[in-house]
Parts: sequence; structure tokens; C-alpha cells
Amino acid sequence: MRFSGLVALSDVTVEVEPGRVTGLIGPNGAGKTTCFNVITGLQEPSSGRVVFDGADITGKSPYKRARMGIARTFQKLEAFSSLSARDNVLVAAEQRKAWDRSGFNPGAVADELLERVGISHLANFMVGTLPTGTARLVELARALATDPKVLLLDEPSSGLNEDETLEVARLLRVLAADGLAVLLVEHDMSLVMGTCEVIDVLDFGSIIFSGTPADVQRSHAVQAAYLGSGATKAGAR
Amino acid sequence: MRLKTKPTTIAAGVAVAVFALVVINGNRGPAVYSGHNIAIALVVGISLGGIYAISAGGLVVTYSTTGIFNFAHGAIGCFLAFVYWELRVNRNWPTPLALIAVIFVLAPLLGIGLDVFLMRRLRNAPLVVQLMVTVGLMLTFMGITLTMWKPTQGRALQHFFESSKGVEVGNVIATWHRIITVAVALGIALLLRTLLYRTRIGISMRAVVDNRNLAGLTGARPSVISGASWALGCMTAAVAGILIAPETGLVVENLTLVIVVAFAAAAIGQLKSLPWAFAGGMIIGLVTGFTRVFIAFGPNYSYASEAIPAVILFIAVLFLPQARLATGSLRLTKRTERLTTPGEALGAAALIFGLVAAWANGWIPWITGTTFGQRTEVWLGRGVGFLVIGLIMLSLVPLIGWAGQVSFANFAIAGFGAAMYAHVGGQHGNPLALLWVMLICAPLGALVALPALRLKGLYLALATMAFAEFSDKILFRHPRIIDPVKNGRLYEPLRVLGFRISSDGPDRKAFVIFLALAFVVLFLLLEALRRSRWARRWIAMADSPAASATIGVNLTTAKIAVFALSGAMAGFAGCMLGLQQGSLRGDSFPLFAGLPLVLLLAVQGVRYPVAAFMGVVGLAAFPALYEVAGQPNYLTSIALIGPGLAAIAMAYRPEGAVFYAGRDLAALLPWRRDAREEKALAVAKLRSQDVTRDEINDLGIDRPFTVEKIAQLDRALNVADELLERPGVGAPPAEEVPDGTLVS
Repeated sequence: MRFSGLVALSDVTVEVEPGRVTGLIGPNGAGKTTCFNVITGLQEPSSGRVVFDGADITGKSPYKRARMGIARTFQKLEAFSSLSARDNVLVAAEQRKAWDRSGFNPGAVADELLERVGISHLANFMVGTLPTGTARLVELARALATDPKVLLLDEPSSGLNEDETLEVARLLRVLAADGLAVLLVEHDMSLVMGTCEVIDVLDFGSIIFSGTPADVQRSHAVQAAYLGSGATKAGAR
Repeated sequence: MRLKTKPTTIAAGVAVAVFALVVINGNRGPAVYSGHNIAIALVVGISLGGIYAISAGGLVVTYSTTGIFNFAHGAIGCFLAFVYWELRVNRNWPTPLALIAVIFVLAPLLGIGLDVFLMRRLRNAPLVVQLMVTVGLMLTFMGITLTMWKPTQGRALQHFFESSKGVEVGNVIATWHRIITVAVALGIALLLRTLLYRTRIGISMRAVVDNRNLAGLTGARPSVISGASWALGCMTAAVAGILIAPETGLVVENLTLVIVVAFAAAAIGQLKSLPWAFAGGMIIGLVTGFTRVFIAFGPNYSYASEAIPAVILFIAVLFLPQARLATGSLRLTKRTERLTTPGEALGAAALIFGLVAAWANGWIPWITGTTFGQRTEVWLGRGVGFLVIGLIMLSLVPLIGWAGQVSFANFAIAGFGAAMYAHVGGQHGNPLALLWVMLICAPLGALVALPALRLKGLYLALATMAFAEFSDKILFRHPRIIDPVKNGRLYEPLRVLGFRISSDGPDRKAFVIFLALAFVVLFLLLEALRRSRWARRWIAMADSPAASATIGVNLTTAKIAVFALSGAMAGFAGCMLGLQQGSLRGDSFPLFAGLPLVLLLAVQGVRYPVAAFMGVVGLAAFPALYEVAGQPNYLTSIALIGPGLAAIAMAYRPEGAVFYAGRDLAALLPWRRDAREEKALAVAKLRSQDVTRDEINDLGIDRPFTVEKIAQLDRALNVADELLERPGVGAPPAEEVPDGTLVS
């Protein structure tokens, strides 16, 4: 699967493969969230194309892309705050009935997914009153309820403590092992390094580096992007 | 203002132009296009446009600096114009003194008062609450004005310098009043422009729009600024009111309706651009001027010229750029979700039906042994009216309460349903006609949804208001829809199971019971729907359209579905409305009549179907109060002031009475520990918010900021921890470089 498009982005190509967690990192303002918005159709690129599963999906409305198998979470929470955690997931599972005829039971799917992200004890709580980190897990479960092929995660660990972050890392690896393609935007480097097989580094709207976690750690270009060129000099001294 | 011209926009523009040409061509008046006539049109148009521009400018200033769209702008202007009349004409004050007293003393005080007591609380409130409070304010001011200055007495404000002749421009006379109007409009435009771009407070005002918290941190004082902008808003409202009163007559409804014009002008400026709002005012003024001179609408469209602002508003709203899918923040006061169980819903339905039926049978005074709640024929007739309104309220629950689409159009749709009911067989008492009307009104509701597909909350409210005004001035005045000649009985009684249902004296009891039954059936339907995937999807859509789309919800069909459902329900209510009124008139469904019911529902809690019944009780309470108090003079307008004041109270209790009463009453039940916990939590939350607010005030914040002050503020706001977790914001990450990891 291949995505490319331009908005605040120029010539960004991110390849996301099934069975693999791909990392997308970069300093604040590098265009990571914009990239997600373009892929999911919330923002239209002024030029460029978004290709999914070999098909050009540029200009397709967000809900159609969702039905093709693209799901996401949001950096700024977009949980359905006046619904309970279970209903958040249930809405997505019920919606899946519109295009998935496999005869699943939405209620059971919702319960199972809440269990899977570890918040089934909070099922009846209104999401608007839950802590940010927990609400992120609700968003994750909601995204999974659409049974996606590609899962885009926008900083899933922010608001989570260390143990919960480890739990998310484990879950992501399991999901990838099940054949899901995961694209992870994250600031928590231990999570990125621990789960991603490939990492793309985005800065000023374009991919400046792509490689394995070890390559990324060694790259001077990446260090410069994160810390400014002065820091690279300091590091080189 | 940069407009992106898409093909659809151009097509819509061409359609509007063709529509305008057809209307102009089909209704040419006797006046020829001579220089003289054009000059007359220009003089009239520019001076009207000046007034509209003043009004719109004030509206835009308050909206753009406080984020609250003031539906009461026209009503406040109307109230102040009446005060001016009182001082100038009734008390014979000299003109300058009266002007200063109203525009520079009373208006700013009123604005500051509104800001301190209401508007500051609304800053972060959901849009529904903001809308309801300002619409409530509008009805309250209308009511106060009507109470203080009874409409039975004719009043007139003179043009300024009425006695002198004016100035001759070409061979047209521009009266001094018109010249003053234009001069004042220009003056206000320049003044506002200078204020916002050249003065410290003005720049702070604009900064506040962009980011309130940030502006606060740089030393702007948000409370001073919002006070100033509300004062400014009220002053412009007063000026516009005083200037336009001689044109429209000193009549509450006319003066308040100036708001629609101001809305249209402001919408042309996308509600934020002052120059475009002024231009919008001028455009509407000129269109009105030219229409007056050159166009003579036929007898079928005798009120069409009054609908011009509504049409322009609707068109302006349609041309607004598409809103990005975004979400507002919602503050919740409840922690766990507990839906009404089917058992509880059935119980409530039985109770509602039982209560109404018992009252209609005259059993309640017998039970209480007093005359309380005594059934009379008059009250049975009123009961019919209230229950019909209750049905319309019920139709708003899924629309406003669940899908978050604030619509003021349902009363107009019900009116349309009433008219259609007569056309499709209701006049012969044919029950099938009910079904037909519902089938007609469902797509009509969906048609109203068209602007909603692209626009968010406030614009939708404006568009639906424009639709209601358009219906009142054009649709219902057309003889093909409501025939003014057939003033007699339009509807034969409806016959159900041998009962005659109509508003005739002997049939009223059956009518009340039938309505109670219909209400309860629809109530149960909504309660069932609330537990279904449809309601969940609508609520999800209201909470976050963006997230809904990314889980595969087709927002277009979801919105159309809820509007159609609401339209069908309103259509049914409309049939009942027709039966209740017996005969329809062209002025049976004015815009203002449709507002109190939205307010009363919202006050009770727009998310809950049972709130519609509480709304009915509320409706009944006002005339009951009026009678119990011995019909005093000061309560004559209680039907306006009552709902208005109740809606204003939502600034303090946003969730609606049903929610608070439900929580607090349930807490009294020994087995409802959850309700007690819920209440304790809400109280604690409220207290902690107040504590934070006090802490911030105690910091004595003034610029320049010290690092400690900011840290203190962060602690008070609980943001410090989150910021420190962010890389690149908290501790410098430089130490981490040597070992090669990028953990920052």
C-alpha cells in the first residue's frame, strides 16, 4: 500500500505493509497529522494522489475510505464524548454492518475489543469524563471495530503511563502479527523503537529518512531535524 | 475575503441570478427605469442600507470578539428605541439629552450587565445553550417591551428634522433623516474600524478571537474586552433601532425582525468580517430600495418584499464556504451512561397518558378536593394547543437533542403540514390524510437539511430561521396553500373509533385524549429509537463528525434521515395543529410563534423525550399563573417572557431541568446509589472549577509575566504535567544525545 500526497507536505511517500508496524516520526509541525488527514480524506491535497491497495482514492469521501479499510485515531481526542465507552465502539461495529456482510454480532465485537484494549471495566462510563489516555484506548478500540486493513495511530501513548504504553506496544505487535498494517505517529521513542520495523522520518513536509530503528538512531539527518543543526555539531564534536 | 470559486458555486450563482431575473421580470411595477426613479431607489436604499449596516456591524463585533451570536440584537434595539420614545416623546426630553441617555448611558450599561451576568458563563457552553440563551433574551426583551408599552396605543417616532425639507440631489429630495442615517453609518463604520485596528483595546479584542487563553497570557483582559464588546453591540443596536423606527413604525415585531436583515448582512460577511457586513447591509438596503420602487408583487405574493432579507440570508448561508469537519468540546456533568429502561419508559408513558386523561375527564379537582386544575372548556381548548406544541417539541428531540442540528424550522414545517392536511383530505375527516401529510413533510424536512449537509451549528440555525421567515411571508400567504377567502371551517372532525376529534366544544375532551395517546406512542417510539443504532449514530455524529466519517458513517444520509424523521413527526403535529385551529390564516405561523417551543424544550432538556411533556406542563403553567395571579397587567406578555427567562436560566443550568431533576430525585431512592455518586461528583467538580477560578484571580495577573506566574497559572490549570510530558517543550533533551537514542 502506498500513500503520497501534497498539502503542507511535498512528495511524501509512505509505504505501509500488512503485518508490519511502520513508524512515522518527526518534530512538531513536520506534517504528520496533516499526512493522516490526507490519507483518511479529512483534508484534500492540492495536488498529488493517495493510493490504497493499488486504487487511487484521492477525492473519495472519508466514509468511503473507512469502508475500504482505513481506520485511524486522533491526536486531539475525537471520541464520542457523550456516549459510553462501549457505545463508542458499538457505533463503529454497527456501522461496519453497512459494508461487511460476515454476520458478526456488533455487541459481541464491542465487548471483545474493550476487553482487548483492557478497559472493559469502564464500558458504561461516558467517554467525555474519562482521562485522556483511557479515551485514546477507546478510540483505538473504535478504530479496530471497523475491521480495518490499515490502522493509523496518531500518538496513542500520550496520556498513558509506562505500563499502559507497554501494553499498547504489545497489542500493536499482536495486531500486526494478525496481518494488520499499522502506521504509527508517536513521540515516545521507546514505543516507536520497540514496535516499528520501518521508520519514516518527516520534516518540513517531506520524508528525510527511511530505515530500520537502528538506522534512524544513527542518522545525523534525523538528529539535526529533531535537535537543530547546532546539536548535530555538538554531537559531532 | 477570498472566495474559492468551485464549479458548483458558479452553478449556484447562476441559478440565483436566474431566479432573481425571473422574479424581477414577472413582477415589474408601473415605474419606468428613469433617472429620477433610480435616484429615489438609491436614496431609499442607501439610507436603509446604512441602518442595516449599523445593526450588522454591531452583531459582527460581538460575535467575533466573544464567540456568541446575539439573536437578541434586534430585540434589544427595539427595547432601547421604545425607551428613547418614552424619553423623547412621552416625557418630552430634548432630543440630544434623550439620545445620550439611551445610546451612551443605558445601552452600554445593558451590554455590560448582559456580559457580567450571562454571556461570560456561555463562553465555553455548547452551541445549543448559547443559542437558547440569546433567543430567550430576545423573547424576554420583546415581552418586556410589550408589557411596558402596550401595543393597543399607537406610537410614532418622528424622523429627525422632520420639519425641514431636506436636500435636493438631482431632482430627488433626500430628507435630513436619511442623510443623518448615512452619515451615522459611515461614522460608525470608521469608528469601529479605527477601534479594532488602531487602539489597544481593539487589538486585544481581535487577539481574543484568535485565542482567548493566549491573549490572556499576553496581558489582555478578557473580561474587560467582552464587556466592552457587549456594550458596543448594544449601542449599535440602539442606534439602529432609533433610526429605523420611523421607517417600520414603533412596533415590537417589526423592529425585532430587523434582526433577520442584520443576520443576512452579517452572513454575507461570514459573520466575522466587518467591512463585508457593512457591504452586506448596503446590498440588502439597495435591493429593498429598488424593489420598493420598481417591483410590484402580485396579489399572491403580497408579502414577498418582506421576505427579501430572509431569502438573502438563505442564499448567503448557502454560499458560505464548507465547514471543515471539526468538533467542539463538550462538557459533561454525568459520568456513567444509564439509558431509560423499557420498563421506565412504559411507566412514564402510562403516567403521562393517565395524568392527561384524568385531567380531561375532570377527575383531578375531584381527587384534590379543590378547584386546582379544574377542567373548563376554555382550558380543554388550551390543553389541545399545548399538546400539539408538545408533539412538535417531541419532533425536535432526535434532531436537536441527539443529532445536534439546531433547527427553528419545525413550527413552519408543522404549519405546512396543517395546510397540506386540508389539501389531501383532512377537510373530509379522512384519517389516511395523516399518513399523506407525514409522507409529504418528511422530504420537506430533508429539504431543510440541505444547508445542514455543509454547514455547522450556527449557520444551520440561521438557515432554518430564514426558512421559517420565508414560509411565513411567502408560502403561507399564497392562496394555493392557505386560501384567505375560505375563512370558515376548513376541517371536518377526524373520526377515530366512533369518537369525533375536533376543536368544537363537545369534541375537545376526545381531542385531548387522542393527542395524549399520540404523544405517548411517539414518546415510546423515541425511547425505543434512543436505544437503537440510529440514535447512537446520530449522537456520535453530533459529538464528532470527523471521527464518525472515519468509522464509515455517511454523514449526508445520517443527517437526511434525522431531518426526515423530525419532519414527518412535525407534519403529524401539523395535522393536529390544523384540526385545533379549525381554519388557517396566512399569518397563523409567524417566526416568533415557533421560537418559545424550542426554548421550552431546551430548558427541560433537549436530549430527553420526556422533556417534551415537561415542556407542555411549562406551556400550561404560564397562562395558569396569569389566571391565578388575577390577570395582572405586568403578566400580559408572560407567554413570551416566561419561556425567555427560563431559557436565560440555561446559562446556569445547561443540561436542562429533566436531567437535574432526574438525577436529584433518583438520588432520593434508596437503591439508586449511582445517582447519589453522580450528584456528589458533579458538586465536587463544580467546586473544583470555582477553586481554580479563584486561584487564578488570586494570582493578581497583570503583565509582564514572570516565569513563576506562568508556572503558578499552569499549576492552577493543571496543564503543567501535560506540557512536561511533551518532548521539546519541557526539559532540554540535549543530554540524551551522547548515547545515541532520541528519547526526548
